[in-house]
Amino acid sequence: MAPKKDAKAAPAKKAEPAKAAAPAPEPEVVAAPPPLDLSTVKVEFTPDQQEDYKEAFGLFDRVGDAKVAYNQVADIMRALGQNPTNKEVRKVLGNPSDEDMAGKRLEFEAFLPMLQHIVNDPNKGTFDDYVEGLRVFDKEGNGTVMGAELRIVLGTLGEKMTEAEIDALMQGQEDENGSINFEAFVKHIMSI
Amino acid sequence: MECLNDGCPKTHEEDIMDIPLDDPEANKAAAKIQASFRGHMTRKKMKEDKPREEKRQEQK
Repeated sequence: MAPKKDAKAAPAKKAEPAKAAAPAPEPEVVAAPPPLDLSTVKVEFTPDQQEDYKEAFGLFDRVGDAKVAYNQVADIMRALGQNPTNKEVRKVLGNPSDEDMAGKRLEFEAFLPMLQHIVNDPNKGTFDDYVEGLRVFDKEGNGTVMGAELRIVLGTLGEKMTEAEIDALMQGQEDENGSINFEAFVKHIMSI
Repeated sequence: MECLNDGCPKTHEEDIMDIPLDDPEANKAAAKIQASFRGHMTRKKMKEDKPREEKRQEQK
């Protein structure tokens, strides 16, 4: 009987240290980023701000339980002036599954540190970031991008937008040649 | 019907141009821009919906 550690047939004699005091378990996170620790986030909003945020939060509560669905959190943050990527929102929510996104609900007190984290983000996009980002697609180097080209970029790169989203965004932005002056475009986007 | 993100056939004439689909920097820049656009559109929609929303809130 070869003393092979084949734990298939043999009863688990040398069980993996389940209850034993094992050393800190290796986080087997290969692809997923480590979960965000929101307990370290200090909420710095003033009482007035928190009241405003609570009001906005309440607008999204369609159930009346003083909570909002996980999949509404991105929009609430946007309504409050932030521009998080969907990925960033999922991260502050603790990388929920799709079912959680649709089914779990969040109360305001739990929402606040998430919002604070997004507000504190040092990598937030600025006017210059957006302009330079769009300049990449300025083939002729004349400050314009073709609307058609921008539509394709928005629909195929990054966090792809749907046709409906793109249409809503581009409404009235292209000139008679189908071009968009991207500095003006970004100014318009940032004005709200 | 809205076109879902991953199943949308983009059969425009221009799709032969060199869109850097695999470039992480381009994708990162795109995601940032898209985030700002989504933020803008949500705020715009909220503004437009506000009178209606406030009425609904009052009726709660």
